Amino acid sequence: MGRLQAYLVLVATSTLAQGACGKSKPPGGGPAAPAHVEGTPHTDAVLDAWKGAGLKPESFAPIVPPPYVAGYCERGAVAGVDATVCEYADDGALDRGQKQVKDEWDRTGVHTGVVVRTKRTLLSAVDREARDPNGKTINQLIQAFRKL
Amino acid sequence: MRRILMFAAGLTVLTLSVSAEAAVVRYLSQHPLPRKMGGGFCYIDVPHVHDFGPSDPRMYRQVDGEYYFVGDPSPFNYEGPRHAFYGPHPIVEANVQFGHPEYCYLQGPHYHWYEPPAQASFELRGGAYWFTGTYDPGYYQERPRYMVVNDAYAPIVYERPVVDVRVAPPGFRGEIVAAGPGWRGRAVVGGPPPPVVQVGVGINVGGPAGPVFVEHDNGRHRGWERDERHERHERWERHERGGWRGGPPPPAHGGGWRGDGAPGRGDGWRGNPAPQQGGGWRGSPAPQQGGGWRAGGGKAGHGNAWKR
Repeated sequence: MGRLQAYLVLVATSTLAQGACGKSKPPGGGPAAPAHVEGTPHTDAVLDAWKGAGLKPESFAPIVPPPYVAGYCERGAVAGVDATVCEYADDGALDRGQKQVKDEWDRTGVHTGVVVRTKRTLLSAVDREARDPNGKTINQLIQAFRKL
Repeated sequence: MRRILMFAAGLTVLTLSVSAEAAVVRYLSQHPLPRKMGGGFCYIDVPHVHDFGPSDPRMYRQVDGEYYFVGDPSPFNYEGPRHAFYGPHPIVEANVQFGHPEYCYLQGPHYHWYEPPAQASFELRGGAYWFTGTYDPGYYQERPRYMVVNDAYAPIVYERPVVDVRVAPPGFRGEIVAAGPGWRGRAVVGGPPPPVVQVGVGINVGGPAGPVFVEHDNGRHRGWERDERHERHERWERHERGGWRGGPPPPAHGGGWRGDGAPGRGDGWRGNPAPQQGGGWRGSPAPQQGGGWRAGGGKAGHGNAWKR
C-alpha cells in the first residue's frame, strides 16, 4: 500500500511538473512530447516556408527527447535530404547544440552536411546518400530557412 | 603467433579506414565537385562539410580550416550568376569575411559569382571589373604562393569573358594579359595589330599578333619586381617562349615600368624589347603559325588557338 501511494505521488508530481514546463503528454502515452519554444521560428513555420519554395517536406515528426540540448526538434526529409529543425530557448544552448552536430559529423562522417541558424532555430541538413549531389536542394532549404 | 599478428594488422587497417571515412572536409562556400564525385558544382553557399577534399587545392584558399574556392567557376558546369573581372583583385564576396584581405590572383579575364560592392575600388570597363585600389602588402607577400591558380587553369580550355583592354582604367595596377593557355575564343579585345597604344603608365595595348602582357604600378612596389620575374617566368614562359612582353620603352616619368635590360635566355623581360621574329606578345602562339591577331580577332568558338 505504501508503494502504491508513493507511485501515485510520483505520477502526480510528474504531471504537475510537465504542466509547469509547458509540455504535454501525447494521447497514446509514452514520454512527454516537448512543446515549441517561443520567440523563435517554429518548425511548422520552417516547413511552410519550404513548401512555399516548392519543396516537399516529408515525414517530419518530433524527436523525443530533443537532441542537441534543444527545447524542441523535428526530423524529416526533403527530396532525400535528412533535415532536423531544432528550437532553442537561448543562444548558449544553440551554440552548444550546433557544436554537437558538428562534432557528430567529425566522429561519424557525413557525405554532405550543413548546419545554419535563424534566430534561435537551428537547421541541420544532411545528405547521406548523395541524393543531392550538387547541393541545390540543400541550398533551397537554407535560403527559405534564412528568410524566416 | 602469426595469426595474432595478422589479426592485429587487420585491426589496424580497419581502424585506419574507419577513421579515414569519418574525416570531413570543410568548405566555406560554393565549389567545384571532384571528378570522382561526378564532377559539376556544389551550390551550397554557406559553410558546409563533405566527405571528400577539393579536386585541385590550387584553386582554393584555406581560411580557419575551411576551403574557399577562389577560382573561376565557369569550367565546372556552373549555372549561377557570373560577373567578369580582369586581373588580380581582392575577393569581395558579400557574405564571406576572411578577417583580412584575400586576393584572387587569376590573370586576365575571368568570372566570379560575386559582384564588387559599390564602395569597393573597382571600375567596370570594357566588359569587366578592374581593381583600381591599392594592393595590400599581403598581396605581394602571398603572390608567389597563390599564383599557382593560373597553372591550375592552364590546361582547362573554356570561354573567358570578352574584355576590351583598350579601355583599361588608368588606376589598374595589375597586368594586362591578352591570352593565356586554355583561353578559348575572343577573350580579350585589344585591337588589331600595331600601332601600339599606351594607356596610363606602362600599359601597352595593341601591338603585334599575340597577347599583351604589361605591368604597371606607377612606381610602387619596386621590391616586388625581382620575385615577380622569377615566378612569372617559371609559370608562363613555357607556354609562350620567344615572345616579347609589353611594348615600347617606358615613359620616362614615374619609373613604374618594370621591364629593364635586354631579354636573355628565353625568360625574357617585362616591358620593352623590340618585337622581332614573329614573337608575339606573351601568352600567345607565334603569329606565323596561325596568322593574324588571335587574341582579338578570332571568331568565338573557333578560337582554340591556345588550346594545348
